[in-house]
Amino acid sequence: MKEVIRIEHLNKVYATGAVEVHALKDVNLTICEGEYVAIMGQSGSGKSTLMNILGCMDRKISGSYYLEGIDVAKQGENELSRIRNQKIGFVFQAFQLIPRTSAMKNVEIPMIYAGVSGEKRKKRAQQLLEKVGLGARCHHLPNELSGGQKQRVAIARALANDPAILLADEPTGNLDTAASHEIMDFFTKLNEEGATVIVVTHEEDIAAYTKRIIRFQDGCIISDTGRRETLC
Amino acid sequence: MLIWENIRLAISAIWINKMRSFLTMLGMIIGIFSVITIVSLGDTMRGVVAGEYENVGTGLAYVYMTTEDGYYTDNDLFSQQDAENLREAFPKELTYVGFNTGERLDVTVGRTTEKVYFNGLAKNPEAMKKLKIIYGRMLSNQDIEEKRNYVVLDKDTALSLFGKENAVGSTFSVTINREERELLVIGIYENTDSALMKMLSGGGTKTAYIPESIYVSSEGNTQWTLYFIISPEVDINQTQQRVVNLLSRIKNKPVEQIVSYSAAQEMSTIDTMLGSLSAVVGAIAAISLLVGGIGIMNIMLVSVTERTREIGIRKALGARMQDIMTQFLIEAAIISALGGLIGTLLGIGVISLAASILGVKAVVKPTVILLAVAFSAVVGLGFGMYPARKAAKKDPVEALRFE
Repeated sequence: MKEVIRIEHLNKVYATGAVEVHALKDVNLTICEGEYVAIMGQSGSGKSTLMNILGCMDRKISGSYYLEGIDVAKQGENELSRIRNQKIGFVFQAFQLIPRTSAMKNVEIPMIYAGVSGEKRKKRAQQLLEKVGLGARCHHLPNELSGGQKQRVAIARALANDPAILLADEPTGNLDTAASHEIMDFFTKLNEEGATVIVVTHEEDIAAYTKRIIRFQDGCIISDTGRRETLC
Repeated sequence: MLIWENIRLAISAIWINKMRSFLTMLGMIIGIFSVITIVSLGDTMRGVVAGEYENVGTGLAYVYMTTEDGYYTDNDLFSQQDAENLREAFPKELTYVGFNTGERLDVTVGRTTEKVYFNGLAKNPEAMKKLKIIYGRMLSNQDIEEKRNYVVLDKDTALSLFGKENAVGSTFSVTINREERELLVIGIYENTDSALMKMLSGGGTKTAYIPESIYVSSEGNTQWTLYFIISPEVDINQTQQRVVNLLSRIKNKPVEQIVSYSAAQEMSTIDTMLGSLSAVVGAIAAISLLVGGIGIMNIMLVSVTERTREIGIRKALGARMQDIMTQFLIEAAIISALGGLIGTLLGIGVISLAASILGVKAVVKPTVILLAVAFSAVVGLGFGMYPARKAAKKDPVEALRFE
């Protein structure tokens, strides 16, 4: 299987004033195409920091991070934007839909930045919203949707440019139990269709949906259920 | 990213905050409106002045005499003979020579008394005054040579004196130079002056034209100023100089004491004055554009802060710095340009309205409009730059956490 993420000797230090916080300490990690991974840990364990680095929103690191073979730390601002646009599909805890903008328009945003023409964009947005079961709610505004529906719009948006990885940061954190299971079932389905899915969570029952659980504590990986070098 | 997408985004952002956007625009609207109105008002006035001179032609000139010591004698005034000498000396070069004299006199017909301004016309009267005759005829050279007691009245005067427009053939008596004369109405004309010119010339003044010969005695030096019209076929300045030289010989006075101005000279003086006046006032009004620009910057800064999270989302989804920057710049430019456009339309509207009330032709130069709208767009871009850069520089991780 193809290697999607490769992290070697990754260190991250936040220097806020006089205090230095060593958020990640010598992390090594490889994730392959089609994997379904949960990254677990208490708050402050470094999982959010890892999430930002994996999402190419933070490249001020020591060590190296290869995403589909690209050395992320060596890329410029514009290249990083392109990588986020093309290779990463974000799903956030707080949904992060743009307010007063229809579901359809929200799903179109990544495609706008990718330069997809208007007609194609609308067609694909429509298809994606149908895929997440919101075909009838294309023109609804975010505040007219329930939490579960908002998260499904966010998933549709994450899939827009056919990314290499789906990166979900506590995707069920703001949802009730029923909606949480609905969303996780959906991630499972996407993974079965071949998507690489990484879910950051602190809930065991959410992590249970995945096939590989990586636990963080104090910036280090303390366990990895599926760490098999032979996989890639 | 497509410019069109940015424009749509900007319009929807402006629409979402209608009231705020409008208030911000108001600064630009007022600024552009004042610049357009003031500059166009100046241009309109210049047009009116030029139009007035066009009626008589730029060849119109006048001449008067000064003295060394400020003491005036009879010889420092002009006589009919002087005028006749000029006519004979320059039959081709001068199309008209006269005194352009006038006086307001009481005219009584039956029970109606009207103050009427009487204008004397010399030989070749058509060259001096092109009247729109609607009944009867204009004064002829023969009328003038034979000192006939004829008068050409304007329509309104005829109506108020005789109760009808066509008063040709009627007579009335008037005292000119202490001598009572019975004048015969031979023609009626229509005053085609604009409302503005009527206002400037004393508001609906009733005017009549009579042969100058019955007004200015043929004996003695009585007139301060001599008017003449230089034919368009000869050089104005050169001819003016020849007239001055001739008068210097006739009156036996040095050339320096014979002063002559042409309409062309006067017009260019007035034109320059009006031009610089409207430029100065326009520049002062342009300061308000600066204030408008600061308003735009202020509101864009608020908007950028309010939409920090949106900026974070967009960056996470792949927007580059220049995409975010363009988005906010275009928003600022649209607010500004829209304000400029509304201000321009308002300005044109007010100028057209004022011009139609005054009965003059409104002059709004396309260059002024172009300059105003371009300037407002530049102001928008200039003052939008700082907030847009601020937006573009936001860190996506921080921005996504913004509450």
